[in-house]
Amino acid sequence: MASKLLASTLRQTLLSKFTTTHHVRPLSTAAAAAVSADYHEDTDGITMKGVKISGRPLYLDVQATSPVDPRVLDAMLPYYLSRYGNPHSRTHLFGWESENAVEAARSQVASLIGASPKEIIFTSGATESNNISVKGVLHFYKDKKRHVITTQTEHKCVLDSCRHLQQEGFEVTYLPVKSDGLIDLDQLRSAIRPDTGLVSVMAVNNEIGVIQPMEEIGQICKEFNVPFHTDAAQALGKIPVDVEKWNVSLMSLSGHKIYGPKGVGALYLRRRPRIRVEPQMNGGGQERGLRSGTVPTPLVVGMGAACELAKMEMQYDEKRIKSLQERLLNGVREKLDGVVVNGSEERRYAGNLNLSFAYVEGESLLMGLKEVAVSSGSACTSASLEPSYVLRALGVDEDMAHTSIRFGIGRFTTEAEIDRAVELTVHQVEKLREMSPLYEMVKEGINIKDIQWSQH
Amino acid sequence: MAKVVPTRSEVLFLFRSLLRTARQFSDYNIREYTKRRTIDGFRQNRTLSDPDSIASAFSLGKAQLEIAKRQAVVYSLYAPKVKSIMDLKPCNSI
Repeated sequence: MASKLLASTLRQTLLSKFTTTHHVRPLSTAAAAAVSADYHEDTDGITMKGVKISGRPLYLDVQATSPVDPRVLDAMLPYYLSRYGNPHSRTHLFGWESENAVEAARSQVASLIGASPKEIIFTSGATESNNISVKGVLHFYKDKKRHVITTQTEHKCVLDSCRHLQQEGFEVTYLPVKSDGLIDLDQLRSAIRPDTGLVSVMAVNNEIGVIQPMEEIGQICKEFNVPFHTDAAQALGKIPVDVEKWNVSLMSLSGHKIYGPKGVGALYLRRRPRIRVEPQMNGGGQERGLRSGTVPTPLVVGMGAACELAKMEMQYDEKRIKSLQERLLNGVREKLDGVVVNGSEERRYAGNLNLSFAYVEGESLLMGLKEVAVSSGSACTSASLEPSYVLRALGVDEDMAHTSIRFGIGRFTTEAEIDRAVELTVHQVEKLREMSPLYEMVKEGINIKDIQWSQH
Repeated sequence: MAKVVPTRSEVLFLFRSLLRTARQFSDYNIREYTKRRTIDGFRQNRTLSDPDSIASAFSLGKAQLEIAKRQAVVYSLYAPKVKSIMDLKPCNSI
């Protein structure tokens, strides 16, 4: 008893000590210094994470997320102000007007992909749509279907859903890709088994931008009568997407990759022939019981507006982005040698340019390019120093995979920004190569692959 | 629905108003985009001859002007203190 009492008193004192220090912390000079050192902004510039930048960097990372188009925001704002009704309220005007707005947005999304509005389900984003597709389909048909086919270059959320299924006893085939990032159709054909419940292949890769042969894959799936799911988050609004041509049963879409708001996405679910899924989210039965939870009217309206804009602007944007991509690639290649484009150069979305700079360390290059907002690949994995698994699946050498930089060009990118990015990148690569003994050796004609490093 | 075909001066006024509003955007990228899209849009529609399509292009442009006017205000309300480095360039080179 005494020991118990002692323990509890000790715990209380420790706890109170901890809480008091915790309360004091924001006032202590150390913490204050840490806060101001972490972020400081005035008219002279921004200081953040120990880096001082005179102005806001130019943005070339639209694969991570795109800025919201002002026309999209204009459509959304009324639903953040007076029109705040719950779209599922059936008893008053607030609910009715919100419901109308949600249904209008549903039609806008459907019209961009050639579907019926009844086949669109709003979700929180492409990650949720992918989870519903992969896990939902297999869980629904689990008595007969025990096998999934996907690719090695898929987005993390598809791969992780597949891993989850594996733990439940399902089997997964991860198709390898060729060195250009495309899958081998014969390999896909031979991987299909009688108990295959789903084929999941992304349309446009988020890291390298290659476009998979969707129509051909859809044809193979139709032949074997296997449902086909595609993650079209990076394809929507950038390349023509047609659910009939591609013969997809399920498709994941995202709002914030098409100049819409973050936190909203959609799932296309084919009605004829019908594909059924087990819901991941249970509750009030919204979205026909497949995705319970109040539909966020402003976000959904934003996604609808973004889709309508994308439909209107696709041709204009495509032409422009293509010319900017050429400008960037030619600009870099003119002044630098040893620049490699990762992934197929023909079958790729122009807005994604994944480059490797030989003899340069990627992280140092990114550190030096503080005035250009680019990343080494996917935002989800950019925190780690590991080279991207997508590039490794392509068979890119370790040293080249470490130097990759993804330039993302979007609707709002200007020629001047491209020129500045080229100028800064060339300057930084030259500076790093000047310091690099490897580059010197290569210039002298030594093949660095032949070198026997003594301590290895 | 019979639409009223705009006169030449009405079209020019819309064009100038759009460009003037574009300049008011505090955000570098949005400002440049609005200018560019206005110029390209008017250039693209230069050859329109059908009265109906002229009238619908004109009303679309007017709707875009209203959006741009509202959004230029919204952007100015939340403009970051620090400008884009693309806006600072002239100062740097001097």
